[in-house]
Amino acid sequence: MNKIIKTISLGGFAFVIALSPAWPTQAQDSGPLYERMAPIDQYLMTDRNTEIAFARTAAPESISRDAEVWVFGPHGYETAAKGKNGWVCIVERSWMAPFDDPEFLNPDQRVPLCLNPPAARTHLPLTFKTTELAMAGLSKTQMFDGIKAAYDKKELPLPEPGSMCYMMSKQQYFSRKVGNADPHLMFWFPQKDHQDWGAEFPGSPVDIHQYSPQPITEFDISVSKWSDGTPAP
Amino acid sequence: MKPKTVSMIALGFSALALALGVARLAQADDAKAPYPSMAPLDQYLMDRNAEIAMARSAAPEAISRDADILVLGQNGYETAVKGKNGFVCDVERSWMGPFDNNPEFWNPKVRGAGCYNPQAARSVLPIAYLRTKLVLAGLSPTQIADGIKTAYAKKQLPPVESGAMSFMMSKQTYLTDRGITSDGAHNMAHVMFFTALMDTANWGANLDNSPILLNPQFNGFPEPVEVYMVCTGTWSDGTPAPVN
Repeated sequence: MNKIIKTISLGGFAFVIALSPAWPTQAQDSGPLYERMAPIDQYLMTDRNTEIAFARTAAPESISRDAEVWVFGPHGYETAAKGKNGWVCIVERSWMAPFDDPEFLNPDQRVPLCLNPPAARTHLPLTFKTTELAMAGLSKTQMFDGIKAAYDKKELPLPEPGSMCYMMSKQQYFSRKVGNADPHLMFWFPQKDHQDWGAEFPGSPVDIHQYSPQPITEFDISVSKWSDGTPAP
Repeated sequence: MKPKTVSMIALGFSALALALGVARLAQADDAKAPYPSMAPLDQYLMDRNAEIAMARSAAPEAISRDADILVLGQNGYETAVKGKNGFVCDVERSWMGPFDNNPEFWNPKVRGAGCYNPQAARSVLPIAYLRTKLVLAGLSPTQIADGIKTAYAKKQLPPVESGAMSFMMSKQTYLTDRGITSDGAHNMAHVMFFTALMDTANWGANLDNSPILLNPQFNGFPEPVEVYMVCTGTWSDGTPAPVN
């Protein structure tokens, strides 16, 4: 793909890979950095039902209608709808972006995901832990250290085999620079597995992100349609 | 899973089945028996250099240029080019399709170019080697399936590794006599993911508007491997490909 910028929202982590991706340059291009969390109201959605519906748009209705849905409130994430197929849909905020992403803590970012059962078991704990650290008002460095310590102590699980999620919401929003990006699927593995999917080679349909300090490898594959079946640009 | 039109694609050597009741359609086709038995071996063979080039076309050149390349000869698959990146590319034949309800099991026109990542090269390609060995021994599909089953029981075939996948993005691939895309092509550009047997709902495969398709290629009959596919929208040379 002859890409200048490929935006990949991964695991609720949104991230930007550029061919010349020195991130300080991106930071200059992307406006202000967000060293600490903005007032929490800026991260909330005005209506609970809107957030539930928004979360479900991450996957085709055939999957998300039976999924559990979590919404973000003043005290963190809470279950808003019980599911019955093992999937979990959630709208993640920008503190799930990589720590070196200039959009980290950007209050405008809204990234819906629908996680399959293995990912619900192993990715959601990371979402909740990161959210807890962000809401505690920690700096980016402190959050980084907190996540690293949690993995070092095995308080956070590594991805189970088959962990993946859908990110196909037409309304997903990453940043001013990349907007809604494109619909895609994400697959997670422990970094220690040393997976090779031919990612990032010219012409490869697969992108990769190696997180830090999360010991997770993430692969991303774009798909041609949004969750409602309409073609993506 | 709600009954629905199932995009069933038997790709890369698997038969492709589109629409509900694939098995029944396939059985109907089977009655016509277009390929009732193995054709003379020559019909399945290719010019060696053409086969090398076709195998490489399964993945973008940046990946396949450093891959091992296998070609099919009189005695089975052999390494034609040694690579250095752990990927292995080959051109698979029709006997890599499903054993059941597959009227194209012996279709000599089928050519499925694939480039396997290291995990799949270690744990999925051995299936191709063994199936081919049994084919060349003159066994029937039932005998081949029994041989595969026995090999798994004796742990002569490895379990599929986590993260096993392959590229099938060759414009030259011929998967089935049936048209499988909106323009009636016999091929589609996609990637495949191999997992141990699991509830296919775990990946949302074949549900309405899901971009993930379950390929019935193995599916526990007898290989304990699930095969999922996602269309890539481009061929390995970067040109646009139809997606359904």
